[in-house]
Amino acid sequence: MDYNITEIGKLKEIKDNYLDKMNNYKYKILVCSGAGCISSNCHEVKNVLLEALEKNNLKEKVYTIETGCIGTCDIGPVIVINPEGVFYTNVSSEDVYKIVEEHLVKGNIIKEKTYFDIKSRKNIPYLKDIPYFAQQVKIALKNCGNIDYSSLEEYISVDGYLAIANVLNNDSQEDVINKIKNSGLRGRGGAGFPVGIKWEAGMKAKSDQKYIVCNADEGDPGAFMDRSILEGDPHNIIEGMMIGGYSIGASKGYVYIRAEYPLAVERLGLAIDKARNSGILGNNIFGSSFSFDLEIRIGAGAFVCGEETALMASVEGKRGEPKQKPPFPFQKGLFEKPTIINNVESFANIVPIILNGSDWFSQYGTKKSKGTKVFALAGDIVNTGIVEIPMGVTLGEVIFNIGGGIPKGKHFKAAQTGGPSGGCITKEYLNTPIDYDSLTKLGAIMGSGGLISMDEDTCMVDMARFFMEFVQEESCGKCVPCRLGTKRMLEILERITKGEGKIGDIELLEELGSMIKETAVCGLGQTAPNPVLSTIKYFREEYEEHIINNHCDAGVCSEMFLSPCQNACPADVNVPGYISLIAAGRVRDAYNLIRKDNPFPAICGRVCTHPCESKCRRMQLDESLSIVNLKRYAADYILKSEEPYMDLVFPKKGKKVAIVGAGPSGLTCAYYLARLGYEVDVYEEQPIAGGVLAFGIPEYRLPKDILAKEIKLIENVGVKIHLNIEVGKDIQFEELKNDYNSIYIATGTQFSRKINIPGEDLSNVYYGLDFLKDVNINGDFKLKGTVAVIGGGSTAMDAARVAVRLGADKVIVLYRRNLEDMPADVIEIKEGIEEGITIHTMVSPTQFIGEEKLEEIECVDMKLSDFGSDGRRKTIPIKGSEFKIKVDMVIPAVSQYSDLPFIDKNEVETTRWGTFVTSKDTLMTNIEGVFAGGDVARGSDVVITAIADGKNAARAIDKYLGGNGILNTGEEIEIPKTSEESDILEHERFSMKYLDPEDRKKCFGEVALGFHKLNAIAESMRCLRCDRRS
Amino acid sequence: MIELTINNKKIKAKEGMTILDIAKENNILIPHFCYLENVNKVGSCRICVVEVEGAKNLQASCIVEARDGMVIKTNSEKVKKTRKLLYELMLSDHPRDCLSCSRNQNCEFQKLGELMQIDEFRFEGEKSKNFIDSSSPSITRELSKCILCRRCVEVCNEIQGVGILSPQNRGFKTIIGPANNLQLNTVNCTYCGQCTIVCPVGAIQEKDSLKEVWEAIFDDSKRVIVQTAPAVRAALGEEFGYAPGTLVTGKMVSALKEIGFNDIFDTNFTADLTILEEGHEFLKRVESALSKEKAVLPMITSCSPGWIKYIEHTFPDLIENLSTCKSPQMMLGALAKSYYADKIESDPKDIYIVSVMPCTAKKFEITREELYNDGNPNVDAVLTTRELAKMIKDAGIDFKSLEDSKFDNPLGMSSGAADIFAVTGGVMEAAIRTVYEVVTGRELPMDKLHVTPIVGFDQIKTADLLIDGALKEFKHLEGIAVKVAVTSGLKGAHKLLEEIKEGKSPYHFIEVMCCPGGCISGGGQPRPTNNEIRQKRLEAIYKEDEDKEMRKSHENPFILKLYEEYLIEPLGHKSHKLLHTKYTKRGIFNERLKKL
Repeated sequence: MDYNITEIGKLKEIKDNYLDKMNNYKYKILVCSGAGCISSNCHEVKNVLLEALEKNNLKEKVYTIETGCIGTCDIGPVIVINPEGVFYTNVSSEDVYKIVEEHLVKGNIIKEKTYFDIKSRKNIPYLKDIPYFAQQVKIALKNCGNIDYSSLEEYISVDGYLAIANVLNNDSQEDVINKIKNSGLRGRGGAGFPVGIKWEAGMKAKSDQKYIVCNADEGDPGAFMDRSILEGDPHNIIEGMMIGGYSIGASKGYVYIRAEYPLAVERLGLAIDKARNSGILGNNIFGSSFSFDLEIRIGAGAFVCGEETALMASVEGKRGEPKQKPPFPFQKGLFEKPTIINNVESFANIVPIILNGSDWFSQYGTKKSKGTKVFALAGDIVNTGIVEIPMGVTLGEVIFNIGGGIPKGKHFKAAQTGGPSGGCITKEYLNTPIDYDSLTKLGAIMGSGGLISMDEDTCMVDMARFFMEFVQEESCGKCVPCRLGTKRMLEILERITKGEGKIGDIELLEELGSMIKETAVCGLGQTAPNPVLSTIKYFREEYEEHIINNHCDAGVCSEMFLSPCQNACPADVNVPGYISLIAAGRVRDAYNLIRKDNPFPAICGRVCTHPCESKCRRMQLDESLSIVNLKRYAADYILKSEEPYMDLVFPKKGKKVAIVGAGPSGLTCAYYLARLGYEVDVYEEQPIAGGVLAFGIPEYRLPKDILAKEIKLIENVGVKIHLNIEVGKDIQFEELKNDYNSIYIATGTQFSRKINIPGEDLSNVYYGLDFLKDVNINGDFKLKGTVAVIGGGSTAMDAARVAVRLGADKVIVLYRRNLEDMPADVIEIKEGIEEGITIHTMVSPTQFIGEEKLEEIECVDMKLSDFGSDGRRKTIPIKGSEFKIKVDMVIPAVSQYSDLPFIDKNEVETTRWGTFVTSKDTLMTNIEGVFAGGDVARGSDVVITAIADGKNAARAIDKYLGGNGILNTGEEIEIPKTSEESDILEHERFSMKYLDPEDRKKCFGEVALGFHKLNAIAESMRCLRCDRRS
Repeated sequence: MIELTINNKKIKAKEGMTILDIAKENNILIPHFCYLENVNKVGSCRICVVEVEGAKNLQASCIVEARDGMVIKTNSEKVKKTRKLLYELMLSDHPRDCLSCSRNQNCEFQKLGELMQIDEFRFEGEKSKNFIDSSSPSITRELSKCILCRRCVEVCNEIQGVGILSPQNRGFKTIIGPANNLQLNTVNCTYCGQCTIVCPVGAIQEKDSLKEVWEAIFDDSKRVIVQTAPAVRAALGEEFGYAPGTLVTGKMVSALKEIGFNDIFDTNFTADLTILEEGHEFLKRVESALSKEKAVLPMITSCSPGWIKYIEHTFPDLIENLSTCKSPQMMLGALAKSYYADKIESDPKDIYIVSVMPCTAKKFEITREELYNDGNPNVDAVLTTRELAKMIKDAGIDFKSLEDSKFDNPLGMSSGAADIFAVTGGVMEAAIRTVYEVVTGRELPMDKLHVTPIVGFDQIKTADLLIDGALKEFKHLEGIAVKVAVTSGLKGAHKLLEEIKEGKSPYHFIEVMCCPGGCISGGGQPRPTNNEIRQKRLEAIYKEDEDKEMRKSHENPFILKLYEEYLIEPLGHKSHKLLHTKYTKRGIFNERLKKL
């Protein structure tokens, strides 16, 4: 129905009538019809809903409307039942009947269909309680998702068109401009130019004709804020433009929308028609002398047409190419007339400012960035969708609170803002308040509001390549720097991601990038290099890693590796190869294939932290392969068979290498060097070989006989292990230097770090590593009473579980962060809890109390604070929350360090953590011929990196001693091809047997019992063989 | 006046000038590339960037207006590095086979490279385009060489108003050409060749005719006749280092003889003939109009083939307004293959006629079948002024040391009126000199016979000529003020034609030359052709006219002899067959596309 709205009173009449009508309804159901929900079939849901209401005779009681985007695009279709504000998600047609019959008829909320909060693992029925919504402030989006976008009455019922009516009745042009100026509103298109000042310039420009233009050419990949506003609240934009038109003196407006937004074009078009037919647009609006009309211009989807001069050329029907400014649009714009251009979101803020006042608006935000900003959250984030947040909220809060954090337990790596013109913000800057100036300072920009979250699996080089490809394709082609510069930058990036990068490429990218920024004609070109320059700034090593080592740590640049799992393995083990050999029943080949790169399959099959599994492609389908257990299966199968195992050894070279430390790194190095024909002596101060494997890892995780067997195989190739020989005491380091052609030091970290609180010198304060060492080497002893372990890593969990096995009555673990932050493996934590360990999170010890003997620990509760430079939230003590726990023993296990008593500290270069400084490529220390690797060079790390270092050291030592650095890894093993019958069925991991918690508490018997052959083969067949690319 | 600092030097300048203009005025070299004075100012290459104190980015000096107090550095490390990198980028998308390029040693990009001193090719990437459009008889586009400076786009759109060249596609894939990647012969290109003059590289050029001309010369069975257009003699010298405006008529004739042409005729001769034919055609049309018979006025000159193609495309309904006279080059060809062939008792098929023209459209004109006689083209090959210069060099002739020679008769003598066919307003003035005298029996009563209001480079020039004291047979013209208009460059033509279309044209006679300034700045003339050089060439042409004793076409004794011996009378039967033609309604290509 069309009205004839000629004066302000008419608005109230329409509003009152509408509200009266609404009073007749008990419920109002909002069905989200944003683009995301449409694609998940919300229209069918709505039809079924209407049908269900009809069948239940609820048509008179329930009013159903379609709204614009509510913002939760990932969990659509969504509906809201008002007035309660119950939020149902992922609503299927079947659910609708249930909701109608249970909720609307009986009044029972169906909780399991309401919003599920991943963090708290709970359903939250009411919109107002959902963190995602609770922390937003909706100004630009105030009607979006709340009202029927197609209804003029409903818009008027929320005071629509009241702002323009008031303005026309009461305000001069200057009045309006002053209101906007005072509000502090800055342009939401990206550059952040103050809207009021722009309008003032427009007002002051002298011309018989002026124009106001709404830029709805939203082109950033992943951004859909403007689209959502246009689709969800088109009248608001019309009204905002009318106010702008009035204040600058324009009688005509254009909305420039890209053709890819047909829904926005349609909905805005209908709204304009309604407004025009009701007398809101046209001549003498609200009885004033102001006349205004709007026209939609559809752009062909060229990104550059978001640039204002190009946009105007396009509106004029010309090729959308930018022109040098000045003249600025307010001087000479559309059709050579003064023109003011703002983007959709800027206009969306106008009506609320006029209705509520400048002061109301400027209460939100920071000093220089007022109000709110709408963001489209995309990428690796739990809550993808549209959010509106007050300026000044930190990036961390947006990502982790509103956005719900990073899915699948992955780590946050960086956020990209501003799309192809923007840059990235790394985890070090999660505390940065989001406003124009802070983002610019970091080399990113606010942009129009695209915010892409990226997790650890994102390759920054590849990301830069993606954006460069985008701008390169979107360049208009006018100026040389943009047309050719971006192309050449793209070509360099493509080369790097293919493993064909050259030394100097990074510098060339920087040179090109800064030149393009300096010289390109328009904003597109001037900002095109930003994603590249920003990633080089923050992730230069990642570029170097691609170029120098041909390695993509994120496992994205697939031309550089066989498979993501192999790429993730520090020792470079051919994972898909041995998995497929297991599947083919060729277990010995599988074992041999592993041993080519890792001499400890049985050990790693038990204790490896398996970074491979977190990159397994199968995760995208159901669950990653149980790679570590398959490795164990292969190794156990062979070790059990007792078949003689013979490694091929090259003839003796007549050169000697000494290795200090018989841990995994030293033994690995020894093994590969011996196979190359070197004479290798390993010196170990402990009475057993294996290092941390022998004394640090409890028997229930790694049985001693398994360790012994694999060490035996290493001795079989000629490695001589000398136990109970301490270098520096039993044999001098200088002697080694004289007697051997080269030395590899791999002494690990064996000293527990203190936590630096009072009372650490009390008896019964037993440091983690010492505790484990004593138990492992000197045999078990008994504990009783309460044992507290401090820390959250592997050593802490091992110590706690050992304490259980030694008879402690109660074992508690005190950890200062949350459970999910614990560095120990999830399985260890799970098994520990099964065994009766209590974990207190968010607590920290402040002092150990006792006379001589420890009696109590004083702790303090911790709370989350801002983000640390590692991207994790810091914890700080809650003052006054101190409490005491009575304990009989405490095992601090926070960290270890190394010490090198046998080398003169003046002779060797070490870091401030006491570790060796070694050459990145050769692992050589500053002493000629002396190499170092494993924890003694890296600091506390995991077994597999120690093994990788040992292997790399063997290569480097061979090269140093005149070899070619190629290891002797035996014969080639043929890998089975993928099977033809490759129907992929979803299936989670196949199960493995475990010792029952009650039984295992009492002994050191191995907890995990390994795969049964059938399950092992079945599990291995889950491999998607992503190494086989055709 | 403003004051600014460039490279630590205080400089005073007029307000409103660009930084580049001011630098030029003060002999500060800012390398630039896409910029071309009065033609192109789009700032696409960015080579001319300079550092302006306080500005966020480097500024393109060709666009940015200087402001009082600006502090500018044109040669800072940053500027130099940037400029070099920009050049490297352009080079990375340009063939590096200069030795086999026709612009070798005559290429602005090559010259810029000399300044840049590139010592390695750092960017070996994909090349954006590789396509040769040799579809038209006049102009060849070699896209691999195009560096998208857009000078041709500006000339075609802004100066000529034809608008067939524009950027297509976007980004790296951008090419310059007709819409939808159509070829030149399928669109309404006039073949004026203004684009070939401004192209800094070998991307747009006249279609090469040198090979076939050499072949004809070396063919003993052919009698190879050459004719040269009036504008060539005022510009050819520039190719040999002479200052613009040096007339080299005599040396040119000697060179042509030395090359081995059998007869050296002058297109000027048929320019005189054109005046007689066209003058009488005009008088006839006026007569018809006065006697209320059907007469199409204004009559518009038809010497310029680019212009002819333009009207056929853009105003096809107005082709009746065109004079039916063939252009002088075609008239000469037609006469050489008939009148002269008879004289030397030769079969026209054995005669090969070469025209040296300041024009690329002339290459197209000779292919128009409506201009054929007895199934043979009037002219067999057209060389541009630039091509002739190459030919002379190729023949090993030391041009500067040549003696002067004279054209051969009977088609070699001309009046001063013929010379001024080379400049805008010249055809009209030549016609007025003759028509006035034919109608009144008196010499045109103007200083040095010049019709001053139609001399010069204004876009549209007009004059009124009162007929006073007409001879008896022209009494009906007594008291009439003949209104004439003259324009050069197609934008002006467009305006005059719109007037005609709307029925508002006050003129009786209009002269249109396709190229701005007339044939002296034709598309086949030496590069560069700019306003300063144009002026010099114009002065040379008027000098050639004024230095002649015979200043009026109807006084040319060989013309009189031609009528006497062969044509009998203007507009007679033979004239009709040999010297007049008709035109084709072509329409703009958008319309044709719609029909497809």
